[in-house]
Parts: sequence; C-alpha cells; structure tokens
Amino acid sequence: MFHRMIIAALGATLFMAAPASAHDEEALRNAPPAAPYAKVSDLVALPDFLPGLGMLYVDPATLPAGPFLGYDRDGKLAATIYMTPIEALESGTSFDDLGVGSHNVSAVDIYYNAGHPGVDKPHAHVVLLHGEDARARLAE
Amino acid sequence: MITRRQFGRVAGGALAALASRRPVGAAAPLDIEMRGTARGERVWFAPLAIAVAPGAMLRFVNHDNGNSHTATTYHPAIFDRPQRIPSGAAPWDSDFLLPGASFEVTLSVPGVYDYYCIPHEHAGMVGRIVVGRPGDPGWEGPAGDAGDLPEAALNGFPTVAEILAKGRIIPEDLA
Repeated sequence: MFHRMIIAALGATLFMAAPASAHDEEALRNAPPAAPYAKVSDLVALPDFLPGLGMLYVDPATLPAGPFLGYDRDGKLAATIYMTPIEALESGTSFDDLGVGSHNVSAVDIYYNAGHPGVDKPHAHVVLLHGEDARARLAE
Repeated sequence: MITRRQFGRVAGGALAALASRRPVGAAAPLDIEMRGTARGERVWFAPLAIAVAPGAMLRFVNHDNGNSHTATTYHPAIFDRPQRIPSGAAPWDSDFLLPGASFEVTLSVPGVYDYYCIPHEHAGMVGRIVVGRPGDPGWEGPAGDAGDLPEAALNGFPTVAEILAKGRIIPEDLA
C-alpha cells in the first residue's frame, strides 16, 4: 500500500530532469539529490531526520530495496541504505546490482527492522557508512 | 466516542474523527505509549493491554524518535478490516503520529477493543483495551474469528481474564 502511495506521489517527478545515477558520486554528495530522488519524509509520515540513518532520499522506482541515501544534518552524504523485506528474501527474491551513493565505504551494518511507513513489513537494513565519522554524523 | 489529535501530521485517507477539547477539570487521560528500539528491531504499545472503566479517556503518545505509529481499530470502516470492537462503538484511527504527537480517545461502550499500528501490524504491534467487565450492559467480548489478521498480530492479544486480573500488561522483557 505504501509503495503505491509513494509511487503515486512522485509520478510527476519521474519524468523531470535526467536522474543522477546511484553511482554518480559527485551529484549525490550533497542534499538534496536531483530527481528522481525525493525526500522520504515528504512522501510518508516519518521524521525528517532518523537517528542512525539521517535525512533519507530515495528514487521510488527502486522501492523497496533502494538505495536510500542518508545525509547528515549538514546535508553531506553519510550512508547508503538498502531495505530488503524478509518475506521477499525467504521466497527467493534477490536484489542485485543496486547502486551506491559513494564508493568510499568505511563500514557496513546489517540489522533487522520491524517496519515503518514506506516499507511496512519486517525487513533488513543494510547500511553502508561513508567515512569514519559517518556513524557519529548520523547519530542524532 | 470522542477523539482528539495533538501535533499529529495528517497523511491523508484517514477516517474523519470528531474533535473536542477536554473539559476543564476532567480526569487526565491514561497514556498508552508507542515505543521502539533505537534501530527499530522491536516496536510495541506500552501497556499492550489495559482495563478501564466506561468513559475512560486514553491518550496514545509516540515516544519512538525514529518511527511513526498509528493506533487503528480493527473495523470494516477502516481499511475493510475485521470488526474487533463492540458493535455499538465507533471505530477510530489516529493516523500517523510523528515522534511527540498524541491522539486521545474516550471509550464508553463496554467490551473489548483491539487495535493495531498500520506499519507494524506484521511485526505484532497490536493492543487491547477492555472497557468495563463481562456482564455490563452492552458488553461484547473479544472477536472469535481470526479474519485476515497476521499471525504475529493474533499472538499479541492477552486474554480478557489476564487483563482484568492485572489491570495493565507490559511484556516483561519490555517493561
């Protein structure tokens, strides 16, 4: 249901300027990334800044896996996040060739999440941290 | 039934609710907190079950800084879900509550009210309110049909007897 809401809300933006690839590091370095990325908190009822993940942007065409781009409070890219529903993984769905916001990956966190608006079934968060200080920049 | 939202953000599509200011001198509402771990591994209502007298006011408050939650009754009028509140009671839906936001509801019809959090039902984030006691005029007990509820939700409801005996229930590992 929420995937459809997001896609409907952003239908118009999908046809705007040429999208920045999730591998286009320079274009994604600072928030806000260009369309088709959109601020997650503008699409669903979530806080602007999520502790641990930052300010999230996503191209709705890539839901549910993402990549979600996590920016710190200064608008600097700090993480690329993927959200993969457990049910989909169990049924054999794979999520391949996903883009990354930055090729500088200092650490990777993987953990279970019970769900939230936008990805409302239990899923895994795979968090690629960009820089030694990324975790601290996303903490609060 | 009277409902009231504070600092909430309307995400659209919600059932219209009657809004009302609390009368001066009225009893303070009983809080039901929406909680979650920092990374969202677990989410829950605290207490997850409570016994109250008819006419009690309850306030759902989102204390989860990294998530939004709803308190939504199971009812055909809201997303066509099975009815799990007394027939004479009006259904309610808080809509999404961001951190710090709250929603109040006053329950007068005796019986069992089951509700859930829209984005977290599959994670078992449900709650049960028992208003009055069996034998009260108009009392309706818990729904007997599982309907379309996911297993995680069905497993989340304490029994009415347990709720009446304890007054309120918070899972031991979350207390």
